[in-house]
Amino acid sequence: MEMEILGERLRLYPQKAVFWPGKEILFIADLHVGKINHFRRSGIPLPVKANDRNIELLMDLIQATHPKRVICLGDLFHSHYNPEWEVFGEVVKHFSHISFELVMGNHDIMSEIQYSRKGILLHDELRIDPFIFTHHPMEEVEEGAYNLAGHIHPGVSLRGKGRQSLTLPCFYFGSCAGLLPAFGMFTGLARIHPKKDDNVFIILEDKIMKVNPS
Amino acid sequence: MAPDIIKIGKDWFTSRGWKVFPFQQEAWKAYLNGQHGLVNAPTGSGKTYSLMVPCLLEFIRDHPNFASQKNNGLQVIWITPIRALSKEIELSGKRVIEGLGLPWKVGVRSGDTSVKERAKQKEKPPELLITTPESLHLLLAQKGYPEFFKNLRAIIADEWHELMGSKRGVQVELALSRLKTISPHLKVWGISATIGNMDQALEALLGNYYHEKNYTIVRSALEKKVEVVSLLPETLEKLPWAGHLGIQLLQKVIDIVKSSTTTLIFTNTRSFAEIWYHRMLDKAPELSGLIAMHHGSISQEIRNWVEEQLHEGKLKAVVCTSSLDLGVDFRPVETVIQVGGPKGVARFLQRAGRSGHQPGATSRIYFVPTHSLELMEAAAIREAITRKIVEDRLPYIRSFDVLIQYLVTLAVSDGFYPDQIYAEIKNTFCYQSVSEDEWHWLLNFITTGGDSLQAYDEYRKVIILQGLYKVDNRMIAMRHRLSVGTIVGDSSLFVRFVSGKYLGTIEEYFISRLNPGDVFWFAGRNLELVRIKEMEAQVRKSNKKSGAVPSWQGGRMPLSSQMSEMIRVKLDEVVRGVEKDEELIFLRPLFQLQKERSHLPAKDEFLIEYFKSSEGYHVLMYPFEGRFVHEGIAALMAYRIAQIQPITFSIAMNDYGFELLSDQPIPIEEAVETNVLGTDDLLKDIQASINSTEMARRKFRDIAAISGLVFKGYPGKPVKDRHLQSSSQLFFNVFHDYEAHNLLLQQAFEEVMDFQLEEARLRRALERIAHQKIIITRPVMPTPFAFPIMVDRMREKLTSEKLEDRIKRMALQFDAD
Repeated sequence: MEMEILGERLRLYPQKAVFWPGKEILFIADLHVGKINHFRRSGIPLPVKANDRNIELLMDLIQATHPKRVICLGDLFHSHYNPEWEVFGEVVKHFSHISFELVMGNHDIMSEIQYSRKGILLHDELRIDPFIFTHHPMEEVEEGAYNLAGHIHPGVSLRGKGRQSLTLPCFYFGSCAGLLPAFGMFTGLARIHPKKDDNVFIILEDKIMKVNPS
Repeated sequence: MAPDIIKIGKDWFTSRGWKVFPFQQEAWKAYLNGQHGLVNAPTGSGKTYSLMVPCLLEFIRDHPNFASQKNNGLQVIWITPIRALSKEIELSGKRVIEGLGLPWKVGVRSGDTSVKERAKQKEKPPELLITTPESLHLLLAQKGYPEFFKNLRAIIADEWHELMGSKRGVQVELALSRLKTISPHLKVWGISATIGNMDQALEALLGNYYHEKNYTIVRSALEKKVEVVSLLPETLEKLPWAGHLGIQLLQKVIDIVKSSTTTLIFTNTRSFAEIWYHRMLDKAPELSGLIAMHHGSISQEIRNWVEEQLHEGKLKAVVCTSSLDLGVDFRPVETVIQVGGPKGVARFLQRAGRSGHQPGATSRIYFVPTHSLELMEAAAIREAITRKIVEDRLPYIRSFDVLIQYLVTLAVSDGFYPDQIYAEIKNTFCYQSVSEDEWHWLLNFITTGGDSLQAYDEYRKVIILQGLYKVDNRMIAMRHRLSVGTIVGDSSLFVRFVSGKYLGTIEEYFISRLNPGDVFWFAGRNLELVRIKEMEAQVRKSNKKSGAVPSWQGGRMPLSSQMSEMIRVKLDEVVRGVEKDEELIFLRPLFQLQKERSHLPAKDEFLIEYFKSSEGYHVLMYPFEGRFVHEGIAALMAYRIAQIQPITFSIAMNDYGFELLSDQPIPIEEAVETNVLGTDDLLKDIQASINSTEMARRKFRDIAAISGLVFKGYPGKPVKDRHLQSSSQLFFNVFHDYEAHNLLLQQAFEEVMDFQLEEARLRRALERIAHQKIIITRPVMPTPFAFPIMVDRMREKLTSEKLEDRIKRMALQFDAD
C-alpha cells in the first residue's frame, strides 16, 4: 500500500512499518524489545518464546526493503538493560551495512553506552525534509513540514450494520502529522478518533486496507 | 462435666435477661464434644453467641485457673467477609469474655489495622482474632507464622455461604489446610444463611474433616415471614418496555421513605444507586442530609460513616447495592425497597430480612419494577417463598490463580516443601482433583516462569534452596504482600480529591471518555475531573449540573435457576388464564399485545421471532433461563448457524431471552431443521463457541490479578515500576499464542463452563426445549418480549466470516461532533 505526503511516496507494510523509497529508509516505532524479559525478571511469568516473533518480523522487513537506514521512532527498548538487548544487537551486527538509528522515546532509558556499543545512532528529533520524526507527536508543526511519530499505539474502531464493531491497529495520517502503529508484540492499542479528511489505513493480519468515511 | 460447663453459659445469658435458643445450646454441646460443623441461622438471630460462647467455655473447662491465666496465645480466629462486621463481633466477644471473667484480649486484623497494632498482635497475640480471608493470608506471609498459630483451637467462618460463592472461600480453604497441620486440635465451624446445598457448603469448609464424619449441622428454627408488595403506576402505559432505572415510581418511593423511620433502598448496580440518590435529592431537596449512599466502589471510610449514621438512626434512607446485603443488623431500619428484579430468592430474602426486627414480625419489602415484564419477577419470588425454594451456592473448584497466590505467600514467609503442601491442598474441597502433573506445572510456573528454563533467563520469583521453595527478593516479597487479596479489576482507577481524600474506585474505560473539566456524579457528589495521574483520577467538587454517571462492569446479576423456573410457572398461569398475582393481572394488556404481534408461549412451546429492521436481521428466542445461560445458548446458536454459512452476529440477552442480530439474512428455518437447538455434540460446540467469543477473556481479568500477573498497586500505593504495567488482555493473548496449555488460561475456560454457562443447566434447558413445540413468528413490529433485549447495548459477538469481508461492509467511526 502506498501513499503520498508533500510529494514524497511512502510504502506501508502490514508488519507495521513504513518504507520511504526516495531515501531508502525503513521506519518502525515502539518495538519495546526486552519487555517480556523485564516482566520475567520481576517475577511475572511470560513465555520467552513471545520475544522471537518481533525479531523475525524485523528481519523479514529488512530483507524485503533493503534499506540504507532503519529508524525507530522511540521506545526501541522497554526498560532497564536486560540480555534481550544482545539479541537485538545481533540483528544490528548482522546487517552491518545498514545504519540503525533511534529517535529517543520515553521508554529509552538505558545509558548511551548501550546504544553506542551496538553502533546505534541517537536523535532527540530528526529532520529529513519535508519530514520531522519524533517519538511523541508534535503539538504544532510548522508550515510546509510533516510530523511522523510513534508513542500512541494507534487503533481505530469500525462500525457496521447489525451493531457490529471492530477495533484494529492502524497507520494514521492527518493534515500535518501522522502516526505509526506499534511494532512490538505484547503492546496495547489506544483508540484514536480521526477526523473526516484524515487518511486511515487499518492492519488486518497480513493486509493493509484504507478505510473511508461513508 | 459438660453439663456444668453449659450451665456457666446459660447462667450468663440469664444474668442478662436472655434465654438460650435451642439451636444455640445444640451448637454449644456439639462444639464442646469436639465436633466440627455449620450453624444455619439468619442475621440478628443470636448466631454469634451460638459459637462464641462454647469457644470460651472450652477454655474454662480445660484451664482450671482460667481466671488468672493471661497471654494464652491465639485461641480462636473469627473470619468475616466484610470489615464492617468486625466491630459488631468484637463488641459481642468482649461482652461475653468479660461476663465469664476471662482475661482474654480481642484483636481485629483487617486492611484498616495500623502497622503498630499489627506489630503488637504479632508479639502478644490476642486470644480472639477477628479477621478477613485476605488478612489471614497476610498472616501466613509473616515469618515464623507457625509459632503464632500453634495454640489455635477453633476457626469460625462467618457468613460462609457468602464466602463460599467467591474465591475468598477458596482462600479460607487453603488457610485451613495449613492450620490443620500446625494446630492439630483445631475445630472448624461455619455460620451460614439458608442455601440449597447446605451439605456441600459444609464439605467445602471442612475438606478432609468432612470425610471423618465428626460434624453437626445445627439449624435454627427461626423463620421470618416475608410479604412482597409491588409498587405499580396508575396505568401500565406509564411503565416502559425496557429500562433498568424505575425512576417513574420515584414519587411513590419518596412517599414511603417519608412515612418510615429508616428505609434501605436496594438497587442492582452501583450506577443505579448513584442515579437514584441523585434523583431523590432533585425531587425532594428537603431530604438533603437525611439520605446517603452505600456501594462497593465507595471508599471504606465513607461507607463506615454511613453505617454508623444508620446505627444511630440519623438517616431517613440509604440507597445501596449488595454492599449492605450482609452484616450487622441495623435496628432503625423499618422499610426495605428493592429497585429492579431481585434475580435470586436467597438474596431477596436476605434483603427483606433487613426490616421487621421483632421476633415473629413480618418483613415487608416493596418491589419497584424498572420495566413492565420485570413485574413477573415479583410474582415469581412470591411463588418461590411459598414453595420454600432457595438457590445453591456453588463453591469454586480448581482455582489455580488462588493456589499460585497461596504458594508464593508461603514462599514469602518461611518457605515450603512441595510434598507437604501438596498433601495438604489435596485435602481441600477445591483442589482435591489436582493431579501431580498439574502440581508440577504450578511449581514450575513460580520457579522458572513456565515450562522450560532458558539459557540466560533472568526469571526471578520463587527459588529452591535444598528443596525449600522460597522468595529471597525483597521487592518481589513486598509486591506480593501488597497484592494479596487486593483484587482490583485490572482497569480500575482510584478517585481522590486534589487535596488527597480518597473517595473510591471507578473503571478506567468510563473515566477515559472524560476530559479535564468534565463533571461526573460519584459517591453522591458532583465532581469535576481535574487530571488523571498514574492510577488516580483527581477531582474537585463542582456546582455544575447534570454530570455523567459512571457505570461499573459486572454489576448485573443473572436470574437464578430457581427463579427462572418460577417465572416459567407464572407465564404458564397467564397463558392458561389462571393468574392471581396482582402484578400479572396488571400486565394483562401487555401479554395481550405480545399475543397479537407474535405469540405467547405456553409451557410446551418454544417461541422464536424473526424480523428485519433498519439495524439488520433479528432472531429472538425465549428460553426464560437467566442471562448467563442465555449467553451460553446464544453463543451456541450463533456458532451453529455460522457453520451453515459465513455470517457475523452481535448477541444480546436478558433474563428472559436472547437476540442474534446480523447485517445479513439469518437462515432460521434451515437452522431449526438442522437441529441447532439439539444436544448432539453439545460439549464440543460449547467449547468452540466459548473460543469464538469474549467470555473466557473476561474471566481472565480476575485470574490475572489474583495470580499476580497484573499488579496495579493499591489505594495510596501505586506501582513503582511503571514499566510493569500491562493488561490482562495482553497476557491472555500471549498465553493463547505461545503457551496454550497454561493452567490459568484453562481455568478461565473452566470458569466459563462452571459458573457462567453452568453447562449442566444449559444442557437441561436444551433438553427441555427438545420436548417443546417450536413456534416461529415473523412480527411486523418489535414485541414486548423482544424490545428490552434489542435495546441492550452490552453485546457479545461471534463470526465465521473473513475479517476482510466484514470490513468491506463497515465504516470508520468518527468523532460524534
